Amino acid sequence: MEQVKQKINTFFTGLGKKIVCFFKSIPSKLKSRFAGAKEIITQGNIKVGASMCIMGLGQLLYKQWTKGTLFILLQIAFIAYFITRGGEDLFGLFTLGQVKGDAWYGIEGDNSIVMMLMGLLAVVMIGFYIALYVTNIKDVYRTQCAEDTLKGVPTFKSEFKSLLDKNFYKTAIILPLIGVCVFSILPIVFMILIAFTNYGGTTVPPELVDWVGLENFENLISLGELSATFFKIFGWNLLWAVLSTFINYFAGLGLALLLNKKCVKGKAFWRAFPILAYAIPGFITLLGFKFMFSYGGPINYYIQEAGGEAIGFLDLNSKWTARFIGLGVNAWISVPSTMLLATGILSNINTDLYEAARVDGASAWKQFIKITLPYVIFATTPVLITQFINNFNNFGVFYFLRERVRSEGYILANNTDLLINWLYRMSIDNKYYSIGAAISLIIFIVTSIISLVVYVLSPAYKQEETFR
Amino acid sequence: MKNSKVVKARSKKVLNVIITYCILLIVAFIFFFPCLWLILASFSKSGSIYSFDGFFPKEYSLDTFELLFTDTVMYNYPKWFLNTLFIATMSCILGTLFTILTAYVMSRFRFKTRKAMMKGTLVLGMFPSFMGTIAVYLMMTQFNLINQQWGLILIYAGTAPMGYLTQKGFFDTIPYSIDEAARIDGASNFTVFVKFILPLSKPILVYTALTSFAWPWSDFILPKMLLIDQDLQTVAVGLMSLDETQFARFAAGSIIIAIPIIVLYFCLVKYMINGMAAGAVKE
Repeated sequence: MEQVKQKINTFFTGLGKKIVCFFKSIPSKLKSRFAGAKEIITQGNIKVGASMCIMGLGQLLYKQWTKGTLFILLQIAFIAYFITRGGEDLFGLFTLGQVKGDAWYGIEGDNSIVMMLMGLLAVVMIGFYIALYVTNIKDVYRTQCAEDTLKGVPTFKSEFKSLLDKNFYKTAIILPLIGVCVFSILPIVFMILIAFTNYGGTTVPPELVDWVGLENFENLISLGELSATFFKIFGWNLLWAVLSTFINYFAGLGLALLLNKKCVKGKAFWRAFPILAYAIPGFITLLGFKFMFSYGGPINYYIQEAGGEAIGFLDLNSKWTARFIGLGVNAWISVPSTMLLATGILSNINTDLYEAARVDGASAWKQFIKITLPYVIFATTPVLITQFINNFNNFGVFYFLRERVRSEGYILANNTDLLINWLYRMSIDNKYYSIGAAISLIIFIVTSIISLVVYVLSPAYKQEETFR
Repeated sequence: MKNSKVVKARSKKVLNVIITYCILLIVAFIFFFPCLWLILASFSKSGSIYSFDGFFPKEYSLDTFELLFTDTVMYNYPKWFLNTLFIATMSCILGTLFTILTAYVMSRFRFKTRKAMMKGTLVLGMFPSFMGTIAVYLMMTQFNLINQQWGLILIYAGTAPMGYLTQKGFFDTIPYSIDEAARIDGASNFTVFVKFILPLSKPILVYTALTSFAWPWSDFILPKMLLIDQDLQTVAVGLMSLDETQFARFAAGSIIIAIPIIVLYFCLVKYMINGMAAGAVKE
């Protein structure tokens, strides 16, 4: 415990120093960043100046016709966009619409959500334009330098070729980058914005949506029915994440060690069963287990055969049975992957260590505690963090097992739901988008704090520090 | 005295072996029995789970498999299957390409925004996975892009590069001397990648392709949200709509969709172990 405290302390005092250092380094960083700009301004010739005024003009003066024309066309396109709609869109991001639609009077109102998206697009476009502008100036200056050093002005063709050679990384990364921006970053930014509006419930277009600041978070955390549900779910979610990660990790490790034993013959055969479980798509497993524990399912059949009453394992009144079934089913799905991982890592351990330990007379248990466990934990810390986060956000298990159940004392949720299930019900089933977005931000904050702390406490982090 | 000690040690060893095998048997049973149950159920003559003797069907026949492909009025399984196959194949091709390119660039090139990008993906990974999905859903409803299979494919492929770390770990292990030798001989970076690196990275290509095929193949959240038309549904969503009276149909449908994946996994289990271990010991 002392050790842990100390580690946290050193981390945070170190953090303070780091922050101070960061702020102290800002002037010098800025200087080095703008040194290039200063150089261009003082050293650049008239053609560079021309490019600063009108994008592409400098390139044209250097007789780089294709490139110059491209730059000029892009600039014209941007200005046209900004005048026709960009400026308005940017303004719309702040107001989110002022005219409410009215079918009776034939007024076509503002659609707040489309306005928000278009506003975001305008911001992106402005950023893109600035980047293009800087590239344009840098490009002319580079041409100037090339001419001054008598290398000659590069042709369009040779620059095009460099995209497959010196600048291959740009060509290669551009498509994935666009994909991630459009399908990961943009949606997340959009959701973050939504968390600060009152979008959802009855306030959906054609109604006007408005910014409400932190109101959604206040509703979730301050006293009230919503916050009661939130804290109940949050507590269970933490417990679930810790328990399931613990169970899966040690069961998987145990299984790998068991299969690694010298006395086990036909390892491939025994390993096949967990891999079979691993290969079956998750939704099939989950639906299968739901059938197994349903009223007409085989478990209840045997209970009734033995003269008992059918039990609703996953029904309204079964809080802890459903939770335990969830843990078990999740273990069934996840243990094999941990086992595979541990098998891979165990095969990398230096066997000399065990040799030495045996010579010194260490028991098998001692060897496990002193060699195997530290090594495996060291190697798997990043995976452990990922698994914890995945379990924290484990949507599938309770979505399949208890989708239709609603418990008393919970708003739109039941007593096995995790935050992510609640988020789904809130946003998709019931259209409370802003509250759903607020919940996802809270999940983000919690998971990132936990993984940061675990990471700092882990041996992998300490080791890394000593190596630097 | 000494003799009894040896006997004791030996009996202890035998006991150890027996216990080990007992545990292995139990583990095998736990993992195999639910699969066996589903397989038997798919061969049952009556479809409803209520007519079973516990875990075992009363009568066996092949009717369910026939029904699955002929009785398509309510549950159009062949259509679902083709939809799933199309979506999974397309996203597998695009997703593998994107992931490999990202991993290669991050492993081999040093450029200004590299560190920022790597940290950025770590932070993005902390957001709950379908926070973005809900946003995409909202956007697509606003612009009437819902019910498009291509939308789904683009989402799968577009988010695939986020998981590039395993692949980067693999590329890091390919020695630089290969690149350098080729560069001295006048090969461009593009040629180095296509002619020298790619042939060496078959294991990781296979691993990437498999994971990016298996994900859309078994995903249910996105298709359920974004594909509303009956004709566009995937197998996962379709099977979810079957209730207890259609249990045999569910079992048969599950087995058909699980078999390709299971076969793939068993062929590639060696690559998987290496791929996972490589990804675990990352920077």
